[in-house]
Amino acid sequence: MSSEPQRRGSREAYDYDEGNGYPSEQHALRLRWVSSRASNQSYPQHDLSSTPAEENEEGDSGPPRDLRAIPLPMALKRAVRQVQQMQVPVVSSRQSWRRKRTKSLHELKEKARESLYFFTLWRKSLQKIGGNFGGGVQSYFLFLRFLVVLNFVSFLLIAGFVLIPSIVFRSAGTSLINSTGPDECKVYDPNSQGLVEFYKYFLDLLSGTGFMEYSYLFYGYYSNTMVENRNVSYNIPLAYLFTAIFYFVFCLICIIARMGTTARVAVATGGSAVGNYSVIVFTGWDYGCQGDRATKLKQKNVHYRLQVDLEEESRKKRAAALTLCQKIALYSLRVFMCFVAFGLIIAAFYGIFVATNFSQTKSGEEGILGLFFEYLPSIVITTGNFVVPLLCDQIALLERYTPSTTVIVALLRAVFLRLVSLGVLLFTLWDQITCKGDIDSHDCKLCQYNYKVHPCWETRVGQEMYKLTMFDLLVNIALLVLVEFPRRMVVDNWSSKLAQWVGRQEFVVSTNVLGLVYGQTVVWTGALFCPLLPLINTIKFVLLFYFRKVTLFYNCRPALKTFRSTTSTFFFLVVLTFGWCLATAVMIYSLAEIRPSMGCGPFRFFPSMWSIVPTSFYRLSTITQDFLFFIGSQAFSIPLFALSCVVMCYFIALASVYGKSVALLRAQLKLEGRDKQFLVKQIEKLSRQHQILKHTAGAYE
Amino acid sequence: MGNKQTIFTDEQLDAYQDCTFFTRKEILRLHGRYHELAPHLVPMDYTNDPDCKLPLALIVNMPELKENPFCSRIVESFSEDGFGNLSFNEFVDMFSVLSEMAPRELKAIYAFKIYDFNVDNYLCKEDLEKTLNRLTKEELTPEEVQLVCEKAIEEADLDGDSKLSYADFENMITRAPDFLSTFHIRI
Repeated sequence: MSSEPQRRGSREAYDYDEGNGYPSEQHALRLRWVSSRASNQSYPQHDLSSTPAEENEEGDSGPPRDLRAIPLPMALKRAVRQVQQMQVPVVSSRQSWRRKRTKSLHELKEKARESLYFFTLWRKSLQKIGGNFGGGVQSYFLFLRFLVVLNFVSFLLIAGFVLIPSIVFRSAGTSLINSTGPDECKVYDPNSQGLVEFYKYFLDLLSGTGFMEYSYLFYGYYSNTMVENRNVSYNIPLAYLFTAIFYFVFCLICIIARMGTTARVAVATGGSAVGNYSVIVFTGWDYGCQGDRATKLKQKNVHYRLQVDLEEESRKKRAAALTLCQKIALYSLRVFMCFVAFGLIIAAFYGIFVATNFSQTKSGEEGILGLFFEYLPSIVITTGNFVVPLLCDQIALLERYTPSTTVIVALLRAVFLRLVSLGVLLFTLWDQITCKGDIDSHDCKLCQYNYKVHPCWETRVGQEMYKLTMFDLLVNIALLVLVEFPRRMVVDNWSSKLAQWVGRQEFVVSTNVLGLVYGQTVVWTGALFCPLLPLINTIKFVLLFYFRKVTLFYNCRPALKTFRSTTSTFFFLVVLTFGWCLATAVMIYSLAEIRPSMGCGPFRFFPSMWSIVPTSFYRLSTITQDFLFFIGSQAFSIPLFALSCVVMCYFIALASVYGKSVALLRAQLKLEGRDKQFLVKQIEKLSRQHQILKHTAGAYE
Repeated sequence: MGNKQTIFTDEQLDAYQDCTFFTRKEILRLHGRYHELAPHLVPMDYTNDPDCKLPLALIVNMPELKENPFCSRIVESFSEDGFGNLSFNEFVDMFSVLSEMAPRELKAIYAFKIYDFNVDNYLCKEDLEKTLNRLTKEELTPEEVQLVCEKAIEEADLDGDSKLSYADFENMITRAPDFLSTFHIRI
């Protein structure tokens, strides 16, 4: 509610500044409002010696912030400041100490913000992009920067807790559990090649086999040892597990924190489906736009948005004017097109399934053909992700939705396609590893996983994710070099109708963001099996930033259809959360259900990856065990659950109360306007009556 | 940070810091920009508050303002005499309001002033038409302009007088999520 006095204060400031216009009626109404509410606010006409409500709460940080937000000319502000400083307020020593403390804290915060500003990555590039191409494109690059930082910090986490201890304690340490199980399961020999041709190193680099397979890159290299000296004890498998879990939790917290800041703006402005025209007219122009070309494009953009809105209006009118027959025809067409779209998507899934199985059967091949078979699932996924959205776009044209709905529908379909195609790939792998879920079948009976085909199945899954990441990067580079630059050269230098119709490429934000989300989901899925994948992804995203920047400035024209930056950032993060959920599901399943390989990795000889936690648990001291048992017991968890329910109910109630008061204030605003109209009419009527009376009185005299 | 600049006294810099959203470095940088607009007019020594105003024509030559269709209106709204002659105080004030840290209410007040072409404290239909024409560089047909202006006033006008007062404008701005990011000049 503190925004209300500030708003009124600002309105008064405006009064003070211009001193004419609307004050008198407003003043009368204001007095009426003040008396009708038992409010304790006094509304001084810029009497800054009497403290506004803010200062009472915040101590000495009140006045500086108040001064800056007052719409007075600078000279007046300085005069006011001088007056303020000359007044020595009579305060107790405790209050003055508190004021000094808040003031120094404020200065410290400012200094910290200044230094952080200096360290922000790519600040100038992002400014340039925002100035030339607008907020929508800039939001894509901001999202990319967020992912780079997230991946880099995750890599530091993994390096600190898993990689460096593994390197340091490589030779030391004792095995945690004695080897059990049949000997055939423990056979794992990744370096069986002997003399290798030179080009094979390159192929191995791309597919993660050969010399790359048995390295710190993949799960198989880590040992299941525990080091226990006098000073230090480090349990590597436990560290591996907990780091993986903490990595997921940390990523989720980062995403939610970032969502919180963007959601605040979106909620405060309340959806804003209404008021499109006024919003476009008054907030459409980006004042930060620089450069002649950007300005012209911005003008075209505003023009386009207005036209789109006008067209939506006329479309709505036409849709309302449809007869029942036409409506039925339209809806049945839409349902049919929906089925067609789903059919295309399912065809893509089937293609992925077949390709993965085929690739597995041909895994022994050598040379370039072998590389092609290795990469077959990635190729099929990428082709599907490219072709199916194009077809869906054409389908959406036929469905004749409004333009904004079309964008959302296309986006949702593309998200569904990408994430579920990844899921299909994982499902196919699971099929092969666990013999279609049937543990007692012939191949899987011995070790409870298919040891003949996958002696170290975790490394295999890690390799698939690694290949997906590398292929994504290679495709981006190939598209940049082979498609985007030539397209621009053709369009610029060859003036024919075809070239003009094709035109320069548009930077479509939504497709690019989906690519980022897909890449990040792949990394999350593979992080448990390929611990260095976040580092590779950081490098990949950094390269992607520079490639995209280059293509943006040299090859693209800005999209006419804009993406609203605030709501779209929120949408990107929601989609990223979907990807996170998929990766978490995969991780939980691998931790709990599938038996770890017996020939490799830090969890060999354990019945499941999670079972290391109980094993290590019993090594703790008795007191810790009892404490942890207590936390897990019902006596603790049920009250905790009840308490969190109460807290959640409180926040929900608070949110609904705020929403209701916002709606109430809006209605009051409308009513105030109508009151004003009514009073003005009354005044006119009365003055007219007064005139008539005067005339008749004058006539009688 | 302890540098020996002689353009402002420390007290002046503190005053500027308290009254605007800029830090000391940024204020000095702004003075540099103000000076390079007219090196022979603007003194380097501001310790005794010289009375120096730059005309509108010089200010709108800045690269940040040059391409803005509302550049003259922006400068006029921040000038005391209403004709666009800015002293350094007003120059700093202008960029402070347009910086990214200025609150929404403050920006809304000045945005209202900028779009109010005939300076009557109301955004009437003529004001909106002029705004729209400057926005789209007169590419809309006159009928479309009329339609958009009517619809805009219809949407935002709460008290039914077919023009927008400051209250209507501010209410509409609170529902615009991009206002803070678009009403922002980076300098």
